[in-house]
Amino acid sequence: MSTTNGNGRTERLLEVKDLTVGFPTRDGIVRGVDGLTLNVGSHERLGVVGESGSGKSVMGLAILGMVLPPGRIMGGSVRWRGEDVLDPAVANRVRGREIAMIFQDPMVSLNPLKTVGSQLRELLQRRVGLQGSKIKQRSLELLDMVGIANASERLRAYAYELSGGMRQRVMIATALACEPTLVIADEPTTGLDVTIQDQILTLLHDLSTELGMSVLMITHDLGVVAQFCDRVQVMYAGRIVERAPINEMFTDPQHPYSLGLLHSVPRVDRDDGELTGIPGEPLDRAQFPPGCAFEPRCNEASDGCRDTPPPLLKIAERRWVACYNRTPAGEAPA
Amino acid sequence: MLRWLARRIIAAALVVFVVTSLVFVVTHVFTDPATVSLPLEATEEHRADRRAALGIDRPLAVQYWDFVSGLVVGDLGESFWQDQPASKLVLERLPATLKLVAGATAVTVLLAAPMGMLAAWWERRFADHAVLGFSMASISAPPFWIGYLLIIVFAVQLGWVPTFGSRGFISLILPSFAIGLASAGRLAQMTRRGIVEELRKPYAVTALSRGFSRSYTIVHHTFRNVASGFVTMTGWELTRMFTGYTVVIEVVFAWPGVGRLAIHAIENRDLILVQAAVVVLATLVVVTNLLVDIARRMIDPRVELA
Repeated sequence: MSTTNGNGRTERLLEVKDLTVGFPTRDGIVRGVDGLTLNVGSHERLGVVGESGSGKSVMGLAILGMVLPPGRIMGGSVRWRGEDVLDPAVANRVRGREIAMIFQDPMVSLNPLKTVGSQLRELLQRRVGLQGSKIKQRSLELLDMVGIANASERLRAYAYELSGGMRQRVMIATALACEPTLVIADEPTTGLDVTIQDQILTLLHDLSTELGMSVLMITHDLGVVAQFCDRVQVMYAGRIVERAPINEMFTDPQHPYSLGLLHSVPRVDRDDGELTGIPGEPLDRAQFPPGCAFEPRCNEASDGCRDTPPPLLKIAERRWVACYNRTPAGEAPA
Repeated sequence: MLRWLARRIIAAALVVFVVTSLVFVVTHVFTDPATVSLPLEATEEHRADRRAALGIDRPLAVQYWDFVSGLVVGDLGESFWQDQPASKLVLERLPATLKLVAGATAVTVLLAAPMGMLAAWWERRFADHAVLGFSMASISAPPFWIGYLLIIVFAVQLGWVPTFGSRGFISLILPSFAIGLASAGRLAQMTRRGIVEELRKPYAVTALSRGFSRSYTIVHHTFRNVASGFVTMTGWELTRMFTGYTVVIEVVFAWPGVGRLAIHAIENRDLILVQAAVVVLATLVVVTNLLVDIARRMIDPRVELA
């Protein structure tokens, strides 16, 4: 399924540069996202993969200029077709209409006290500007698009009256309401049954192809990435540690953390012995090592890793990695 | 829904019955209307005479049966202070009390909801602190003191409204505020807290991520979700009003309501009349709770039909 939607010409839509989000804590400011840089082109499905606490979800919201208090965006830029999304006026226009988010838990991400119909109606009315009978017509169309049968009946349903998969379909319908160009999907299949997960992923994949939408898929699940994305970035402790086309990430991972992630996933297509976990604990974000954040858990670490975090450097065409042991000589900082 | 409603109404009627029975126990077992109505130095003969006159010399069970069967037809006994049926006296005063509570509730809701939303909107900003300041002040100040303050400023100094009595809508304003301000303070804080909490919930984050403004999200998404708690709290405030605030404020403003009647009944040692007032106020409290339950059911479809 992971083919490029390729109509050749791609346009750069989203450009995130050095984005840093900080949360004040008793032990000082913790950086949920630390100098994040990423680009999403048109018709592209980019995956961001990392363990929980790696800053993926914070990143998703921060791209829309949103940070839950008391956190705040401390630096960097987010540009959408060249416009600054961190400017509230631009954000207002872009949110929902150009970039729409799909969240992890559709049970709590849909308003529990509003019917499916009224949640679609307010979007179509206030964000799209539809009126009268067109709203109902479009609502039915949207539910139909996401594969909900009995659409007119479902319009009157509350979230708690729907199954998990159905809720996520409704969530996707609300995301599609304003015909966005980019969908940020934050763990859209976590918590769903495996068969439902597959249905939802297929639906998202098909919709993105049909409607020509780009998707930024945020997940902890490499299986989702393999099935869905064209390109993937691995995130650790708020930073991108590796960026690669999907096939190369699976055949030839470079960063020790990516390697560890891949080895901890069972594969049916290959019999390569035992599963190995990544040693050590996920990082306690309050105790940020000054050097590479993965260094305490890395079996290739040396003294050189402990001083400054390694920069994300290009090692080959479309391949980037942030590791002192992988960076080609000459490009590595002294 | 209808079966649920029927069950709730029957339950409410049961509560009224139990509460009124407890009132009877207090007024007839722990003491009796005859003893209370007489001075301490009254002779035993006097007491016996009065007991016979009020029918309290009969066995308790018979008196209780009288009380309960009277209750069913709305007979709450004779007031010996006023020499009239107690229920008639109380019901005459009831509209004034209901008006006062309605006014106070209007003040409470109309102040608390916007203040709570405003404070949440400007979380940790000036408006938030201002609302908090107002709440602390109004909650800390006893209602009778607020009442006197309002009288001094708006009735005596400025002369905008009458100082006391019940002369149409204008005289309703000050006592309504005297009662409603503290309730509004409590409710505004609860509303603010609720909305701030709700704004962090995924559905609110979703709404914001779709490009709805913070104010739209507060009014159309989060307030709905705190409305159930808001209604419940308003119910509690109404209960406080019926059982305490109106009594005090009716005295301060010489308002001809049930509360002031009860105070006068106590001063005149008319236990039958006190009992009638308490029964009516307790019934109002139970009815309020019933209405709150119905309102919550209408706001939130998930409320169990238990």
